[in-house]
Amino acid sequence: MSRTTDTPLKVERKHPSSFSQYKVLLTKDLLREVRTKEMLVSMGVYALLVIVVFGVALGFAAPGTDFLEVSGGLLWVMVVFTSLLGLNRSFSVEKECGCLEGLLLAPMDRGVIFLAKATSNLIFLLIVEVIAVPLFWLFFSSVALPAETAPLIALPLLVGSVGIAGVGTLLSTITTNVKGKDVMLALLFIPVVFPLLYACVAATVAVLVGGDVMAESFATPLALAALYDVVMILISWFLYDFVVS
Amino acid sequence: MADSKKRTAHKLPEAGQWPDVLSPWVIVAGIILTTLGFLMAFFVVPPVSGATVNGAELVGDTVVSNKLLMSQKIFYFHMPVAITSFAALAFAAYYCVRFLITRELRFDTCARIAMEVALLFTVMTMITGEMWTRFEWGVWWTWDPRLTTYLILMLIVIAYIVLRNMVDDPIRRAAFASVVGVIAFIDVPICFMVTRLIPSSVHPVVTRAGGMTPEMGLCIALVGVGMMCVAFALYRARFRQVRFAERVDALKERLDD
Amino acid sequence: MPDAIRVEGVCKTFGTRKAVDDISFVLPEGAFLTIFGPNGAGKTTLLSMLSTLSRPSKGTIYICGIDAKEESESVRASIGVVSHSSMLYPDLTAEENLVLYGRLYGVPDVKNRAVNLLDAVGLKHRRLDQVRTFSRGMIQRVSIARALMNDPRVVLFDEPYSGLDPHATQVFDNLISDVRKDRTFVMVSHDLKKGMQLADHVLLMARGRAVCFGRKDKLEPDELNHLYEQTIGGGVA
Repeated sequence: MSRTTDTPLKVERKHPSSFSQYKVLLTKDLLREVRTKEMLVSMGVYALLVIVVFGVALGFAAPGTDFLEVSGGLLWVMVVFTSLLGLNRSFSVEKECGCLEGLLLAPMDRGVIFLAKATSNLIFLLIVEVIAVPLFWLFFSSVALPAETAPLIALPLLVGSVGIAGVGTLLSTITTNVKGKDVMLALLFIPVVFPLLYACVAATVAVLVGGDVMAESFATPLALAALYDVVMILISWFLYDFVVS
Repeated sequence: MADSKKRTAHKLPEAGQWPDVLSPWVIVAGIILTTLGFLMAFFVVPPVSGATVNGAELVGDTVVSNKLLMSQKIFYFHMPVAITSFAALAFAAYYCVRFLITRELRFDTCARIAMEVALLFTVMTMITGEMWTRFEWGVWWTWDPRLTTYLILMLIVIAYIVLRNMVDDPIRRAAFASVVGVIAFIDVPICFMVTRLIPSSVHPVVTRAGGMTPEMGLCIALVGVGMMCVAFALYRARFRQVRFAERVDALKERLDD
Repeated sequence: MPDAIRVEGVCKTFGTRKAVDDISFVLPEGAFLTIFGPNGAGKTTLLSMLSTLSRPSKGTIYICGIDAKEESESVRASIGVVSHSSMLYPDLTAEENLVLYGRLYGVPDVKNRAVNLLDAVGLKHRRLDQVRTFSRGMIQRVSIARALMNDPRVVLFDEPYSGLDPHATQVFDNLISDVRKDRTFVMVSHDLKKGMQLADHVLLMARGRAVCFGRKDKLEPDELNHLYEQTIGGGVA
């Protein structure tokens, strides 16, 4: 054991900016994920399994354009359940070793913890979507081909994921402290996120079908989803202090 | 009535004071008013045609052509119950906010009881609403904006109550539940707006033509006030029970010391 | 110079249960306070109020002259806490953990400080290993280093000896005497012998109330032993 007798030096502390604290927390989450890969692997595998289940579900449907209308919804089923899985895990480590307590003891605004966690959840969700959505089309391309506007699907996916990560981070912070947390998160998350889901499915279907539907019902749902994001993230950020203290 | 409820919010009397003296009378009044409304709906108010039926249409299992639907009577209960459930929810949300500001557990108790009353009336609204949909629109369920929003609302109320049972620490439970209450209060209007504004093939926007006749209005007002009275009395009765239980706990604690 | 810790009439109620009931004391800078008491006496609740993690229902706490309720952020900047849980990320290395917390506190030259502290707890050679590979005693040592990252004025310990083998206990004692200078310590303990050895102030709690508080040298050891036995009801180690 190499114990030296000189005590650690005194330090002059300078209060760090909230933004630098945010960066530190975000880097920590990303670094942990790079090491363990637990979120991405579990979410990715889960998304793939959902696609397999869809394969069975659609196996007996006649091919046709109707599939495009349905597929928008199916895609979101995948996103919602995958994100539920990820959100459930996002606080389990923080809780296990008391790290959340450690973060709360640091001199920073609770909002920073919320924003950092929401951002890392968003990043993981987006990475999984970038892999899973093309995979979805690869498997079902034989059933129907989407319209030319299909690449615009990125927009509703992005707006939807932002909202899911924002509200989901608040709700999963609540449910990590609760008995039967998996069920509880789903029970809270799905009703609360329903309006966002509804708007995003509408926009996604519009993008996939294209033509008149695209012109008619793309902008409104997207705008409503964005409105939901703004309102809900602001309120979650504001309420976060009450949840952790 | 709503006024008296509001005043109790600021005073928050211990159980057994004037609102509790009042509540037996209030529930009697509620029962009388509701019964009057019930009788009136069947005997005084003339039957009106339900949803506009053009020509002959299959409603339920029978062909209907602008028939004077008896099932329309459920409307006199459906609407007042729905309004009462909204009132209870508004109180619950109000108490949730009060708790978050003051962090006093009694507001959390109020929020919880208001939410329980709200759940009762929400379920009643759903049941009467289903009857209405079945006989007026011919289906058990349709994803109409109002129905959808109401379903979401009911789910959140259920989630609120389940969440309460999942947390042991009273302060934590109160904070979590209040946060969920506030989120629900903001989420539900957004939900209604979203389902209303986004055009969809399967969601008929049902608007009915024509207003209510004075008799209809009076009947709804009677049942409405009656239901509010019943809700208030239920709220007070439960409040009294919970407060007494809390008092017993406090006394036990004191005996321990 | 303000007192390190000033607690004035602090109560904490959970529903109808009073976990901490009207505790007041003043601790001068550089003191070492040990809080004894049986399970459920409110020791940990008091400690969590000192660490600003929970707010008193009544009363005020001043840490280094700052109101812990009103300016909890500046209080948090000047305290360090070692609790039951390690507060360390198992997937990060010891050094990364310390650097992470140091950055949150705005410690300058954070890498060097982390290495120095790990050296002080005798874990410099393991600093690049993930914390999940550490034994209980090593984790405890890293978490003490973690609590010292921000050079706290006040250090709070919750049962630091639980799960430590004799060797680790020795390391812990040495470490405390090394960093003791100018810092104020509050320790919660079951172990009367260990607690008394380090302490110069003693607070004995039962049912949320303070049974006795004072400087160790002014209290009769026999009387304290007696009181301790009475409140705890068990044998004294």
